[in-house]
Amino acid sequence: MKKTVKRYFAGAMNSQQKWLNKMSDRGWRLTGTTIMGYEFEDCEIGKYEYTVEYVGNKSKEGAESYAKFLEDCGYRVFFKNMNLNYNVGKTVYKPWAEKGGKLATNDTTLNKELLIVEKVRDGRPFELHTTAEDRLAYMKTLVRPWIWFAVIWFVPAILTRSWTFLIPSAPAVIGVAVYLVKIAKIKREMRIKE
Amino acid sequence: MRDAVAGGALTEVTFYILLSLFEPRHGYAVMQFIEAETAGRLTLGAGTLYGALKALEERGWIERHGNEHGRKKEFVITDAGRAAAQSELRRLRALTLTAEKIMGGAI
Repeated sequence: MKKTVKRYFAGAMNSQQKWLNKMSDRGWRLTGTTIMGYEFEDCEIGKYEYTVEYVGNKSKEGAESYAKFLEDCGYRVFFKNMNLNYNVGKTVYKPWAEKGGKLATNDTTLNKELLIVEKVRDGRPFELHTTAEDRLAYMKTLVRPWIWFAVIWFVPAILTRSWTFLIPSAPAVIGVAVYLVKIAKIKREMRIKE
Repeated sequence: MRDAVAGGALTEVTFYILLSLFEPRHGYAVMQFIEAETAGRLTLGAGTLYGALKALEERGWIERHGNEHGRKKEFVITDAGRAAAQSELRRLRALTLTAEKIMGGAI
């Protein structure tokens, strides 16, 4: 049996991951994604496990080669959009991205900012990043877009001397703070252990 | 790979990856090798392995092996990689020697 579920998580990667795993616990395996939804087919209850990773900072080649590598490791991967962009031929400037990914278009990682990775559940935690050094690097790619969103509102605020422009920046500031706490924690661990 | 700059020490993961590539292996086989050799103590996430392989390739310590049309990408250690592994082995021997001198041979 197949079904499509309308659901949109925007940038809430953890909620999306939890929801996909709950679907698997109810016997639904992901078969595809659409802009606003997910396609499933029925499967053995809890057979699969999901994790969601941000790849919106990568170039087209970077994201594809990473996805291919994960497939070679025996996982199934699905690209998923984070934002809603129905336009064709649109270009988004991402100053936080790696070389080759700064100008995101439909040919690069625009609308493919997330990677949903599936493995057969084996009782061990599903972690793609396992060393402190690498978790730190991944956290930094996650915090960078938030720093930009937080800072960009200061431009009109300063130009117009109107603090109301800083209101939309508040959630991003909170996002940055959350990641900075996580980064500090990893750095503390790294002082003694790798 | 930052640690390689500090005291010349490789991270444990880096050293194990180099050791696994004395024979050509693809990514998944590297993960299996490390898990088997450490009896499951060290498991490597695929994302971490991807980044490590990329960094080691850029440094010239490992390289692609064979043609890869439609196949999984395989890597193998280079001469520079062997030299790095060799000096890491010397470093670890010196370290265990000091440890045994102070703590005694018993584990």
